[in-house]
Amino acid sequence: MSTDRSDDPFDDTALDALFAQARAAPPAALSEAFTARLVAASLDAQSALVLPKPGWLARLRSALAEFGGAPSLAGVGAAGLAGVWIGFAAPGSTGDLISTVLQTAASVSPTATEWDGTETYVLATSASDLLALIDGDIE
Amino acid sequence: MPRDTALTMTAAETDSDDALLARYATGDALAARLLVDRLSPRVFRLAQRLLQDQAEAEDVTQEALLRLWKIAPKWEPGVAQPSTWLHRVTVNLATDRLRRRRGVGLDTIDEPDDPSPGAVETMIDDDRKRALDEALALLPERQRVAVVLRHLEGMTNPDIGVSMGLGVEAVESLTARGKRRLAQLLAGRRDELGYDR
Repeated sequence: MSTDRSDDPFDDTALDALFAQARAAPPAALSEAFTARLVAASLDAQSALVLPKPGWLARLRSALAEFGGAPSLAGVGAAGLAGVWIGFAAPGSTGDLISTVLQTAASVSPTATEWDGTETYVLATSASDLLALIDGDIE
Repeated sequence: MPRDTALTMTAAETDSDDALLARYATGDALAARLLVDRLSPRVFRLAQRLLQDQAEAEDVTQEALLRLWKIAPKWEPGVAQPSTWLHRVTVNLATDRLRRRRGVGLDTIDEPDDPSPGAVETMIDDDRKRALDEALALLPERQRVAVVLRHLEGMTNPDIGVSMGLGVEAVESLTARGKRRLAQLLAGRRDELGYDR
């Protein structure tokens, strides 16, 4: 092919258009093999990174996460406050508490047999009154 | 794919390069993959245009990315874009290689004679991009670097001067000569490339 270049210059306008087209064109995708090498190198470099040491707040948050996160602090706090209250109130030993509960239960009045005599009568009386009311014997 | 994983991937894909780099620094493997996919094609194209050698362009791409991975933990979001930073590193790595190729400074290389008029005429591919790449490959190295950085990468002359170790006037001269040479190389292909007279 023979061309007289002086008669057919590739002027600035055409050249600038060619540049603009090249600038606008997205780069071609890389080969899978090369991309895989780049990713592998990236992951290698990542594993070798010295990660920045987390601050005390981050470490506390991490430690708390082992026990259920920040909400677990509420339960721990409540238990602590209860302990403090028990310490100041000094309600006595638990042995005394148990014996007090048992003795109180033993001295409940009326007894079961007394209940049997009084309450059954009350219930029976009430039932008969109710039937009488239904039948119109009592106004 | 589990739904949670799919959601995480979708969120990561919309993250900025800055955000992905921060995630990379915390050990996020998905961020590593996404950054490679986003950034490496442009880095490779730039390296290939400057070096005109696939193996060397791949080496430069790998080295530039490696430097980005190393700096990731210290990266300050918002100060610079990772793509801009990579561009600068790639230009520096490529121009260093060009200097080493000749064993002398890039700015001391003598300009070769014009290629034979028929060198481009023998090209039969009418694709514009291919024609430009082929013509760029025929430029002397200094002219090619200046033209690529100025007209394809949009860098300013002072920035090009810093990258090439030249003054602004020298960059302007190289760019002008490179454009003239390109016009000569592409002469006669105007119709073939679809440009109106």
